Amino acid sequence: METYESIKEWKDAHIPSYLSNNVELNTFHDQVMLKVLEIAIERTTLKKSPCKFTWFITGSGGRLEQGLISDQDHGIVYEKYTTENDLYFKKLGEELSKGLNIVGYPYCSGNIMSSNPIWCKSYKEWKVQLYKWMEEKSWESIRYLQIFYDARALYGDTEYINQLKTMIYEQQKDYPTLLKRLMENVKLLKNAIGPMGQILVEQHGVYQGHINLKYAAFLPYVNSVRLLSIKEGLIETSTLERIEVLREKKEYEELLKDSYRNFELLMNYRLTLFQVKEYDDTHYLNLKNLTKDQRKEIKRILKYGKKLHDAVIELVNVKEI
Amino acid sequence: MEAVVVLMDNLWVAIGAILVFFMLGGFILLEAGSTRMKNAGHVAGKTIFTAGLGTLVFWAVGYGFIYGDGNAFIGLSNFFYGDTTTAADAGGLTPAVDFSFQVMFALVALTIAFGGFAERAKLSVYVIFAILFSALIYPVVAHWIWGGGWLAEHGKQDFAGSTVVHLTGAMAALAATIILKPRIGKYNKDGSSNVLAGHNQVYTTLGVLILWVGWFGFNGASTFGVADGFLGYVILNTQLAAGAGAVAAMFTAWVKTGKADVPTTLNGALAGLVAITASCGFVAPWAAVIIGLVGGVMVVFSMQLFEKLKIDDPIAALSVHGTVGVWGTLSNGLFALPALSTDIGWGQAGLFYGGGWEQLGVQALGVVASGAYAFVVAFVLLKIMDKVMGGLRVTEEEEIMGLDISEHGSYGYPEQMALEEVKLTTAATKDKF
Repeated sequence: METYESIKEWKDAHIPSYLSNNVELNTFHDQVMLKVLEIAIERTTLKKSPCKFTWFITGSGGRLEQGLISDQDHGIVYEKYTTENDLYFKKLGEELSKGLNIVGYPYCSGNIMSSNPIWCKSYKEWKVQLYKWMEEKSWESIRYLQIFYDARALYGDTEYINQLKTMIYEQQKDYPTLLKRLMENVKLLKNAIGPMGQILVEQHGVYQGHINLKYAAFLPYVNSVRLLSIKEGLIETSTLERIEVLREKKEYEELLKDSYRNFELLMNYRLTLFQVKEYDDTHYLNLKNLTKDQRKEIKRILKYGKKLHDAVIELVNVKEI
Repeated sequence: MEAVVVLMDNLWVAIGAILVFFMLGGFILLEAGSTRMKNAGHVAGKTIFTAGLGTLVFWAVGYGFIYGDGNAFIGLSNFFYGDTTTAADAGGLTPAVDFSFQVMFALVALTIAFGGFAERAKLSVYVIFAILFSALIYPVVAHWIWGGGWLAEHGKQDFAGSTVVHLTGAMAALAATIILKPRIGKYNKDGSSNVLAGHNQVYTTLGVLILWVGWFGFNGASTFGVADGFLGYVILNTQLAAGAGAVAAMFTAWVKTGKADVPTTLNGALAGLVAITASCGFVAPWAAVIIGLVGGVMVVFSMQLFEKLKIDDPIAALSVHGTVGVWGTLSNGLFALPALSTDIGWGQAGLFYGGGWEQLGVQALGVVASGAYAFVVAFVLLKIMDKVMGGLRVTEEEEIMGLDISEHGSYGYPEQMALEEVKLTTAATKDKF
């Protein structure tokens, strides 16, 4: 296996057998990306790295929630800044983005990739950058913080990531407004249920009659649970794992009661019922393909997501004063 | 005193004529705003041209076909209109004031019809159809209801022209939309539809407001005088229905989709206006509110239905002027007050005032007969034009580059379109190969 193209072939041939199980599918994605890393390292000038580093993925990949297709979100933390190291990892980052794109993970439209200097830094620089983001509290820097919190080490020592996350955790303990600001950043929800209690679907376009699951269903769960995870300093990244850990705390027991099952159901819906040909397809579910019971279930999951979302907003608000 | 009243009548109807003509300004902004940038100059400019042409045809034959001496089907005198009788001699409206008021209505009907042609018909089609519509379609229906034709004798109530103007225009638009077929890119292979969003919601909004104001002339001056100040009553009803229509449509869109869509709200105001056009002089103000509300709800569902039926109606002319026009005409049969109908010898009171089913029946007959005539004749004429002219529609390539450049040689938005040109070329190539 020597080229990105051959990895793509191998991936396309094997991915169908992993489609029925979310954990297996995500483990497989990890394997594919690690192979891309191997080649990328070989193709970067030195053929081996000049110092210790961690390559992390974030977004749905970080949370182990990738569907059949997802775009690339990743970054690098390396041991120590030197001009040579900086040059090397930027090169590696570019190579990684190029390789992942060839293998079938489209470029990230938000430019969250190791090829972007913001996402490719030494440990010390990362610390400075995260503090800056937390102080700045601009829309963009707050969004970056959330994205960073979903980071999961794919290669290298996970300690870098954990320590950086702990830093965020400590900071928000001292400054509760940060948590509020983080929630405000993800406050917007796509209306999923209409005033008459009907599921709202896309009115026009190729997804006419489909429900946009990413915005209406996934995000309320993902965002609420991430926020609680930051509040409690969790290092887990997958939403399900986060829920499991959080549920053990008495204060969240009631709040998160059904969320594990609901989120698991959502992921299964995505795997079993979608006809995915391109990245956008993984976000839309055609209501027509659902049985009456399934529609009812979806509606329940949507309503619960909104409730959870609102409850977390409330929770963060109270703590502020 | 009487002479003064006569002069005031003349003045009011002349002002009405001016207001109705200004509605074309409303249509220009409404249509241009609801269509895409590459067609904006064409959509706006062609309205001025067809208004000119329509006026000449109406002067030559249209007016005579409506009001000339003839039979139950059509009038046959007063061609090339030139009656110069003064107010004193006429003892009422001067024929010239009356003519001026009438011609504006014909132009409004014509403009509504052309709504169904938007963004894909050849300019030459506008030329020919403007002549045919102003001579053979509009005048016949107008003669039946207003010119002493067979429906007038039945006591059909159409105060300002819901059937004559709006339904007739909408039916011609329907025939055109069906024959022209949807615009490129409106429907996907799987049958789902896309929004080909208009390029300027502010234009569309201002267009609606201008139409709204113009409607005070359309309905208000249809009193043909100032006696008893009845025009105020008509204007009040008009205002109430328009407001109710806007509110109802916005609320309906919000309930249905979760978003208070702006174009839908605008169409709701127009729906309220169309709905009250037939009944503004016959019903109580509370009924005007209900008529407007129902119109506003209806227009939303009607737009959705046409879209599902693959009838591509870029500016919702069919729903606003057709579907809602029918409701407005029928609403007379429900809400007409005895004092404004039976007692003054203009048809019967509505069903809710003990008038029974009679007036509702007359209204329905008027709608069906007029609608069928307008649709069938427009359809046949357009089919013939289609054969003779080698198609009604511009070529695919012209449609993609836009009618501004293909039909007129210059863009409505030159600077903007120069930037777009590169994209368009790519799109055209992609479409073809």
